[in-house]
Amino acid sequence: MNNMSNQHSSKTTAAIRASLKKRYRRERRFRWYGRLAVLTGFVFLFILLADIISKGTPAFTQHYIQVSVNLDAASLDLPSDPSREQLYSADYLGAIKSSLRAMFPEVTGRKEKRLLYRLVSVGAEYDLRDMVLENPELLGHTSEIWLRAHAEAGSYLKGQVGSDSLEADRKVKDLQIVWLDQLEAEGRTESRFNTTFFTQGDSREPEMAGIRVALYGSFFTLLVTFAIAFPIGVSAAVYLEEFAPRNRLTDLIEININNLAAVPSIVFGLLGLAVFINFFELPRSAPLVGGIVLSLMTLPTIIITSRASIQAVSPSIRQAALGVGASKLQTVLHHVLPVAMPGILTGSIIGMAQALGESAPLLMIGMVAFIMDVPHGVTDPATVLPVQIFLWADSPERGFTEKTSAAIMVLMGFLILMNALAVYLRKRFELK
Amino acid sequence: MIAVEAVNSSSTAAGDTQMDRVKQEQASGVADRSTKRPLDIRDHGDTGAYKTIGTPFVKDAKMTARGVNVFYGDKQAIFDVSLDIGRNEVIAMIGPSGCGKSTFLRTLNRMNDIIPGCSVKGDFSLDGDNIYGEDQDTVLLRARVGMVFQKPNPFPKSIYENVAYGPRIHGLAHNKAEMDEIVEDSLRRASLFTEVKDQLDKPGTGLSGGQQQRLCIARAIAVNPEVILMDEPCSALDPIATARIEELIDELKENYTIAIVTHSMQQAARVSQRTAYFHLGKLIEVGNTKQVFTMPRHELTENYITGRFG
Repeated sequence: MNNMSNQHSSKTTAAIRASLKKRYRRERRFRWYGRLAVLTGFVFLFILLADIISKGTPAFTQHYIQVSVNLDAASLDLPSDPSREQLYSADYLGAIKSSLRAMFPEVTGRKEKRLLYRLVSVGAEYDLRDMVLENPELLGHTSEIWLRAHAEAGSYLKGQVGSDSLEADRKVKDLQIVWLDQLEAEGRTESRFNTTFFTQGDSREPEMAGIRVALYGSFFTLLVTFAIAFPIGVSAAVYLEEFAPRNRLTDLIEININNLAAVPSIVFGLLGLAVFINFFELPRSAPLVGGIVLSLMTLPTIIITSRASIQAVSPSIRQAALGVGASKLQTVLHHVLPVAMPGILTGSIIGMAQALGESAPLLMIGMVAFIMDVPHGVTDPATVLPVQIFLWADSPERGFTEKTSAAIMVLMGFLILMNALAVYLRKRFELK
Repeated sequence: MIAVEAVNSSSTAAGDTQMDRVKQEQASGVADRSTKRPLDIRDHGDTGAYKTIGTPFVKDAKMTARGVNVFYGDKQAIFDVSLDIGRNEVIAMIGPSGCGKSTFLRTLNRMNDIIPGCSVKGDFSLDGDNIYGEDQDTVLLRARVGMVFQKPNPFPKSIYENVAYGPRIHGLAHNKAEMDEIVEDSLRRASLFTEVKDQLDKPGTGLSGGQQQRLCIARAIAVNPEVILMDEPCSALDPIATARIEELIDELKENYTIAIVTHSMQQAARVSQRTAYFHLGKLIEVGNTKQVFTMPRHELTENYITGRFG
């Protein structure tokens, strides 16, 4: 009897031991699958970030070329005692051109001259004008002035295009390369931090283009979105979760909210175009309309996540509050919402991040327009970061490639800032 | 028949196997109640049209309930219960799970109002005021009839805030000093003050289970209620914490009327003056606690307190 049970138990042990190996093998294998999945994700993320950062970083520098500009009245086409208006409309381009010709006297052909002028930016004359308006004493002398380099010249100076490629394949020509090498050897080129990128709006010229309009546009748009979607979304969630009766109508509303979350965003853009712009005649291209449209898109996300986090609040807290005689609203405001707030904030931030990255609905309401002036409010025309990225990615000039990546970096920075704010707010609510 | 249905609603997998066994026993004719101990509650009879035995009514009643019927949707949970709660007495409500004692307790401060599909019929009064009257405000009612729940449920706020919350929303304190006094007094009466006086700003959820429950009692008495309802206040506590709560109930009965639901018959015997025995939604027997535990008059009461089922 004893022997038999011993035999039996040793058999069981053997069977378990045999299966153990297999079980552990499966576990190890599963662990490796997991590691592989995480690693793959990280590799892709790393490639993406590395690509964007390596492409985008050059956009934060801008090359300048030092030119001896003769600013006498004759070359500027000015009378002897010019007024401010006359100074404003003086022929700075002519001055730059003649100065460049003076620096490279061997250039004579019409075509060559054109190439020479294209070493400096189209915007250089405006930079020069601003300098003169600020320092009128520059007039009448020849001064060494740093002029903004043209984007193509800049991309050669940044080492993005070399002389080893075929001339036909690049915008910067062999002649220009010779001049640029000469200027560089004379110490007449300089790389500076590109403040223009952060202070200017869009431009046809890459070296003049900046992100400010899009940055302000995104900020104002998100402000409107948050101001509309957060209070409405949270109130709707509180009402549906705490006050609304459970019946057919509220079931229908719930189903529709869930469906709304899955509606393609461009449909909201069409709605915004039809209702807010055509019917209510709100301004086109304005962050106000963009914000309203995006808040419609974000509302379902906020409502759904807020409801989930309100639901997750233990009913015992509600009972406790009602038990000491709190009214329903007091129960919700004093006890349920504070506990649910971290979850609500997380959901709202997810919704806002979606809104920040959204471009399709904004195309429909005209936020895709070419806008150079920085908006000062929610009704001024503006564009937003993702639309700006879309516009630049669409431009053929090499200078815009780096601007595109740089704008993506700014967008990601914006996103990180928003998430950091959410984490901070969540921590504060959790401490209370 | 209705009674059987009511039990079905709370039957568990274990209950089903028990039922199978009982069926087998009945089929083979061995179900002999004098020798076997049938644990199935349904064997203890359909009381049908019944009459509460004992003394459900008292002279000096703080709260009265007459002809109470409670429904959860189509299911009836309480059948025609009438009971008085005397002034400054502790009344214990006992009975097997699902007998409606908690439901009855919750009708007394209208906590059932928040349960969807729950409807309450019957006449209730608190010092002559109709509890379910149209002009009765539930906020006021719950301030007068406080409640302590089965699981300690302090607010996720500081100990001070837990106690101060009720007085604050009702505007019972006019300044900080008064509030401090209310908080200290309530904590003292809940015999918690000496343990927490140095950590009033620490979260109430960080206390031990027994301390949390005493904090909940302090919170309930901070609004100075007339009646305190306790729904199995010790079911989540260890024997030492339970003993402290029982001592506390003994002290509190000087000033408050207390109705306590409990699963522990010893607890009912220790703390209460009157005991009400509920069975499948019916109030079977009410009487002086001593009498109910020593000389129960109804067979069901006897079976329950002697441990035949429960």
